[in-house]
Amino acid sequence: MARRIATKPKHVPMGLIETPFFDRLNALSRAKSWSGWAGYISPLVLDTVEFEYFAIRNQATLFDISPMHKYRITGPDALAVLNRLVTRDVSKIRDARVGYVMWCDEEGMLIDDGTLFRFSETDFRLCCQEPMFTWLLDAAWSYDAQIIDESDAIAAVSLQGPTSWSVLNDAGFADVFTMKPFDWREIEPDIWISRTGFTGDLGYEIWVPWAKANALWDRLLAAGDHWGLRAIGFEALNMCRIEAGFIAAGVDFQPVHAAMRLHRGRTPIELGFGKMVHFDKGHFNGRRALLKQRESGARYALVKIDIAGFKPADGALLYHKKKKEVGFVTSGVWSPTMKSNIALAELKAPYGVDIVDDIWAEIYVNEEGQWDKRLVPVTQQDKPFFANTRARATPPRPY
Amino acid sequence: MSENRFDVIVIGAGHNGLTAAATLAAQGKSVCVLERDDRIGGMSKTADLDGVQVPEMAHLLYNLNPSVAKGLGLKLDTRALPTVALSPDGNHVVIHDGTAAFVDGRVHPDAQAFATLYARLKKFAGLLGQLADGPPPALSGGVLDATTLGELAKLGKLGWGLKRLGKKDMREFLRVILSNAFDLILDEISDGPLAGALTADAVRGGYAGPRSPGTVFSLMYRLGNGGVVTWPMGGIGAVAASFESAARDRGVDIRTSVQIERLVIADDRVQGILLTNGTTLHADAVLSSAGAMQTMQIAGVANFDVEAARRMRNLRNKGTTAKVNLVLNAVPTFIGLNKEQSAARLLIAPSAREVERAFNPAKYGEMSPAPLIEAVIPTLTDSSLAPDGTHILSAVVSYAPYALEGGWTKKARAQLLENVIQTLERYAPGIGGLVSKSQVLTPVDIEKMTGAPGGHWHHAEMGIDQILTVRPANLVSRYAFGVGGLYLCGASAHPGGDVMGAAGRNAAMQVIKDGVLG
Repeated sequence: MARRIATKPKHVPMGLIETPFFDRLNALSRAKSWSGWAGYISPLVLDTVEFEYFAIRNQATLFDISPMHKYRITGPDALAVLNRLVTRDVSKIRDARVGYVMWCDEEGMLIDDGTLFRFSETDFRLCCQEPMFTWLLDAAWSYDAQIIDESDAIAAVSLQGPTSWSVLNDAGFADVFTMKPFDWREIEPDIWISRTGFTGDLGYEIWVPWAKANALWDRLLAAGDHWGLRAIGFEALNMCRIEAGFIAAGVDFQPVHAAMRLHRGRTPIELGFGKMVHFDKGHFNGRRALLKQRESGARYALVKIDIAGFKPADGALLYHKKKKEVGFVTSGVWSPTMKSNIALAELKAPYGVDIVDDIWAEIYVNEEGQWDKRLVPVTQQDKPFFANTRARATPPRPY
Repeated sequence: MSENRFDVIVIGAGHNGLTAAATLAAQGKSVCVLERDDRIGGMSKTADLDGVQVPEMAHLLYNLNPSVAKGLGLKLDTRALPTVALSPDGNHVVIHDGTAAFVDGRVHPDAQAFATLYARLKKFAGLLGQLADGPPPALSGGVLDATTLGELAKLGKLGWGLKRLGKKDMREFLRVILSNAFDLILDEISDGPLAGALTADAVRGGYAGPRSPGTVFSLMYRLGNGGVVTWPMGGIGAVAASFESAARDRGVDIRTSVQIERLVIADDRVQGILLTNGTTLHADAVLSSAGAMQTMQIAGVANFDVEAARRMRNLRNKGTTAKVNLVLNAVPTFIGLNKEQSAARLLIAPSAREVERAFNPAKYGEMSPAPLIEAVIPTLTDSSLAPDGTHILSAVVSYAPYALEGGWTKKARAQLLENVIQTLERYAPGIGGLVSKSQVLTPVDIEKMTGAPGGHWHHAEMGIDQILTVRPANLVSRYAFGVGGLYLCGASAHPGGDVMGAAGRNAAMQVIKDGVLG
């Protein structure tokens, strides 16, 4: 017989949840500008976006990435499950390495992208923007593998900027010295550091159990003052990721499982990641559809563009020969470092693929209460807008 | 050509597998059929019970596809059987050629309404029936695509047929097509054995009661080829034998007692089949009449997209139908029926309500205490089946759920037999005493013996969510099954179950059309 046990009624907490770093962030926040990220409170700006942006490019910065979804995939078939899931060949990612991965639905449309951390052939961690637990369970069905949602067990901060190695060195993590980009290591018990980031600059991500988060934060802050370390919010980071040419879920592509409307999905090929689709590794999700697209050609092209002038072009429509609408800007920002008006844009093929000239952006400018429309020329470019050798130099350079 | 190299390998020597094989062989292809069992026929086998030839599982032909029969040149000697809907009060109803009357000749009060309803359903069924002769329409190519235009034309023909029904019938068709048999039938005729008989035909083999949505469709499906029920002379095994000789005559190599280890696949294309004995048979295409999920497992789940595997996992295929064969040492006497009338297809479905009530326990993993029974005493039609004086009662029994709570133990099986005999006793007192031997096959046995997933008579429920373009599931309705050169050709593919053969034929035609054979 079931007994009724008198307990307080339990319910899902209302509103946004604090990450383990929230008290530290709140104490530093002058702007009190918060947003919701996967149900957690995340800063948009702590002080001013300009200070924070330049700290990324000239000093060192800390950004709380604890709200990322983190899944552990373990078991004898873990590698097989992941190779089935993602488009690239996971067997080529060695132990203690990190790989950027994309995964698609059966139509080859991107579900999400993320970083895959390999402990061993039988143990991985996948970090991504979108909730992916049930999809991973489905992918692992009939395989000898376990999926664990570690999202609220593992906290993480992203330490980015030219002096980030120096911060780590002074904080007692000198062993990071030999780490190459995409390496990752357990530097101390329960502290894993990866040489990864979302800024295109020298940087690291530090992963600790939820309960040890604040000790780590305090240790880094104590060591970092001398190196100009400051905590930052999302807005400055977003400027840097556009400079680096990284795509963002829900912005530059619509994660297909979250899209409500038909035909909103895009393939890795259309997003410019054809090289990350390894057709020769055996079957993986969406392979047949992607193979078909490789034959028939992409429908869209996500490209990097440089827009004349300096007026913000986010969301601007793009025209061919100033007449035909052929696409739009998905992420645009004035780059203070490059001193140019940069953007990621989606063009409808063949524009952006075969036709790259004579493309114009339509920009609306409000000049003290009066709207003005301008058509300005657009130049397509292949390389990331921001690229600096310090990002990849091993050993990292101290500044 | 080496003895282990073929153009096509077909998995399963049931009627669909044999139809596919014979159809391809007729096109000049070299074909090999692999059967796990030592006997050919799948669910249409005759079993020998101490010298008595009983129809092991399927017993009657309702729905043999005319194009299949003609294409294979099947020579079947069949006898059309009337249906007798048994009534506990002896007022049985004979249904014959779409008309109903009491067994003693009196006019049934609902005779007119029944005839009208039956004729209308048959007309609708004929309209839908034309969709059975090919793969379900696919319109994904867009209107500029030539193939899609052909598909549109096919739908157009259905639309034209609908239009030609006239406004009143067309409206009626659209009104009832997705609805449930219970409401449709009781709107027209009063509840009783006649209504019960119609609902019984709507739900047989399925995990559905008369009130389940989609049962009007399954009733029409049964009537798709005219609704005539026939006994094949020599038993259902003779039907399988007829399919077998059609295949063998065209040069098909049929191998029995063969265990498949897995499909051999390279570069996303079928190369052949590896047997458990280590032999590899090579082929450009493999057609599987096994269930969709089993086929996926033989091919390796890794070769399919996550969504495809999820759809196969979620296929509804809970078998609910058991088979009970009784060997009797005399002709049983049914109250109110003479010997000639006893040779009919006998339905114990006293009313639509009773049929629904019989379904209720199945929802909770229990067997029906008063099951729905389709019985036939074939020895009254076909004396070759048993020694003189010995008779057979072959009964298809609903509902006996696959996942019976507590499992199909010896006791549970004895209980099922007891329930069947007790139910029969109400109409034929003393029949229990005539039983000299019995055979009980639960859905679990049927799955074990034939591989039919869930022991389901149609491999997958014939629900509105699992028919036409979504049979067995979305994106795999046109027989091609993920890996290049792999096809479904069994009851889980369009148009579905019953001893029909259309799925096998359609799949074979699709293989030819796709040009996967060298």
